[in-house]
Amino acid sequence: MTPAADIPLKQPAISATAGDVEQYERALIDASTRVPVLMFYASAMVWLLLATLLAVIVSFTTHSPDWFSDVSFLTWGRLRPVLMNVMVYGWASMVGMGTAIWLMARLCRTTLRHPLLIVAGTWFWNIGVAIGVTAILMGYSTGYQWLEFPPYVAVILLIAYALIISWAVLMFRFRRGEQIYITQWYLLGAFLWFPWLYAAAQVMLFIVPVQGVMQAAVGWWYANNLLFLWLGAIALGTAYYMIPKVIGRPVYSYHLATIGFWTYVLFSSWTGMQRGVDGPFPAWMITASIAATILTIIPVATVGLNHHMTMQGYFPVMRYSPTLRFTVFGAMSYTVFSVIGILISLRSTARYLHFTEATFAYSQIGLYAFFTMIMFGSMYYIVPRLVGREWRYATLIKLHFWASAYGIGLMSLMLVAGGIVQGTSQNDASLSFIESASSVLPYLRGDTIAALLLTVSHFIFAFHFGLMLFGLGRTSTVPTFLNPVEAEGSETHL
Amino acid sequence: MKGLIPLFIGLFGTFTFSWVGLTVIPNVQIGALNPQSDEEGTDIYPVPKSGMAQRGRSVYTANGCFYCHTQQLRPDYAAADLERVRDAGISPRAKWGERRSAPRDYVFGAPVLLGEERMGPDLANIGKAAPGQEQEPAAAPGASPPAASPAAQQSPPPNAAPQKSPGGGASAPAAANLSPSPSGKPNPNGIPPAYSEAWHHRHLYSPRSMSRDNLDSTMPAYRFLYEKRRISGERSAEALQLTGADAPPAGWEVVPTYDAKCLVAYLMAQDQSHPLKEAKNVAGAAPAPAQSPAAGAPSPGAPAAAPAAQQPPKK
Repeated sequence: MTPAADIPLKQPAISATAGDVEQYERALIDASTRVPVLMFYASAMVWLLLATLLAVIVSFTTHSPDWFSDVSFLTWGRLRPVLMNVMVYGWASMVGMGTAIWLMARLCRTTLRHPLLIVAGTWFWNIGVAIGVTAILMGYSTGYQWLEFPPYVAVILLIAYALIISWAVLMFRFRRGEQIYITQWYLLGAFLWFPWLYAAAQVMLFIVPVQGVMQAAVGWWYANNLLFLWLGAIALGTAYYMIPKVIGRPVYSYHLATIGFWTYVLFSSWTGMQRGVDGPFPAWMITASIAATILTIIPVATVGLNHHMTMQGYFPVMRYSPTLRFTVFGAMSYTVFSVIGILISLRSTARYLHFTEATFAYSQIGLYAFFTMIMFGSMYYIVPRLVGREWRYATLIKLHFWASAYGIGLMSLMLVAGGIVQGTSQNDASLSFIESASSVLPYLRGDTIAALLLTVSHFIFAFHFGLMLFGLGRTSTVPTFLNPVEAEGSETHL
Repeated sequence: MKGLIPLFIGLFGTFTFSWVGLTVIPNVQIGALNPQSDEEGTDIYPVPKSGMAQRGRSVYTANGCFYCHTQQLRPDYAAADLERVRDAGISPRAKWGERRSAPRDYVFGAPVLLGEERMGPDLANIGKAAPGQEQEPAAAPGASPPAASPAAQQSPPPNAAPQKSPGGGASAPAAANLSPSPSGKPNPNGIPPAYSEAWHHRHLYSPRSMSRDNLDSTMPAYRFLYEKRRISGERSAEALQLTGADAPPAGWEVVPTYDAKCLVAYLMAQDQSHPLKEAKNVAGAAPAPAQSPAAGAPSPGAPAAAPAAQQPPKK
């Protein structure tokens, strides 16, 4: 690998006023994170492409089930868990860890120590996911959603995680400056919660298995917390960094951020049991989760308000900055995600939406529209700083954004609308059951179109990322803008 | 925010709160339930599943059946689960269940496959929907179209040559279409009695061959659980009765593998009809088998459910 000092780093416009020492320091920090973070991103991209192809097959077989019915490992029932696990552990976790490590190094203003151990950790993680995927394909799924990997894979993943995150947490010890920025709260939380969450779920499901329906409760508690406290926390932390950074303006209110953070942790960690609404559980568990879901409107409102007030007057910058455009889309999707979450968990609506595609739409919006879009934004910001080149084609970035935005928008719309239709006919006992399945079929075909759009989007991005990785980006000191900058003076904010 | 210690305490505290609240405390409450038994200790429910059904559960898990099929029934005040009748079968068709599911129903499940979506019907009581011994002769042709004689519901003799069935297959749906209630009529197309073992095997092998109404079924075919082999000597008694494009060529037969038999054994063992103290049957009816005619004429438009207010939540 190139020695750190040789990396040509562009001078970020934002710090044009900063001294040379600070510039040099940033260059050193970026150089120390270069190999591991790019390793994370490259692995995540491979998993994302795999997930994209799987998503197309899964989407087609949802409405055309006779494909591949002779081949056990190509049937819907095996590809679907593989898809979700590749998305969660292959793509989302890896890209999240990559971004989180870079942010942590920048915010602690210290170099990343032992980057090669982290690289080893990414290899372990990749191997773990690959083994897990193979196990599901061979029929060794455990039967708990998002925990389908056999327990021995969890051991591999936890070892890999320890190799990776110990160094990220250790940066805290060497941090400079007293202030702990908002992003660091979220990231530190995510780093500590994930292993606890994952280990607790493994112990309660496989090592000392709980009895009966408690297994489902533990599974749902895990899945929702993984979405909120691991992926969601990383995404929100990233948004808190990227939005102020790109527009060159401090966060509107620290107090709002504090309220938003603690209410987020407190309430979203209690959600999950609404997935078993009116199921065989003590009613208080379900009610507690529904109440917590409703209360998540508080962090949504405070975080949303904070971002909005920070952006106030700077929304036109979204016209130029790819990072900002993706990040703001993701931050807005967080609001949509939570509002849909509230709407589908109320008992009165759950009567019509429980057990339908709408519940799947909810996790898709969280995983894709919220988390993945913010991660794309962070990659547009971070990768040029690691490879010393700028993104080559503004057109490709625009295509990527619109294909992703329309793709996930169409998918959510189809699944929610399909869910309403499906649930309404399911709840009408005078209709035969098959009619509820038939009624949702047109929406599932729409979902396939959305999956194809996302395929286009991801392959474009992968191509562009590949160019960057092989040093084929633009050599320039000016970042790639989505549109030519017309207004004089707005460059300083990009 | 200043200081790392308050931050760490907060991060651990909030998470512990959720962990204890949503998993540890409920586990104290419902994590050590015993099967229910009567005073003599004879009528014990639930009981662990047999070896074949246990293995069938892992086949069910491995192939992701639980992504589309739930195994839980909601109470009558919350949803229409308890008013539903199954799509297939002869009148009166089996109900999905007589009572809601309760934690005690699952004490021997590992993994418990409650499910979160219903692209397919609920399977909590699918074993109970199988035709009982006494019911098969009672298959009164009254409501059936003339083309569907009771004899047609029985499995045809094993020698029935599959090649001649395309002709039968063309006329049979026409007859079925005459019927006012299109779904679930006894199908003269060589379909075994609904929800019997033979029916499950055929359904797993070729889900869209079961009836005209079923063409929209999105269930994948699980053909890899079946073996197509040349008939050596006698045709196997287990061989599937297949028609049309599904039928194997002459001299060949399709037989279930051991995994397929286990899966069907698991499905046949799915039964939550035993009364539980904590989950009352709908309408306060005496505990009745799911498919009992006592449930009244299953005109689905007139639900037999009592007003919600009478049904206390599970206690």
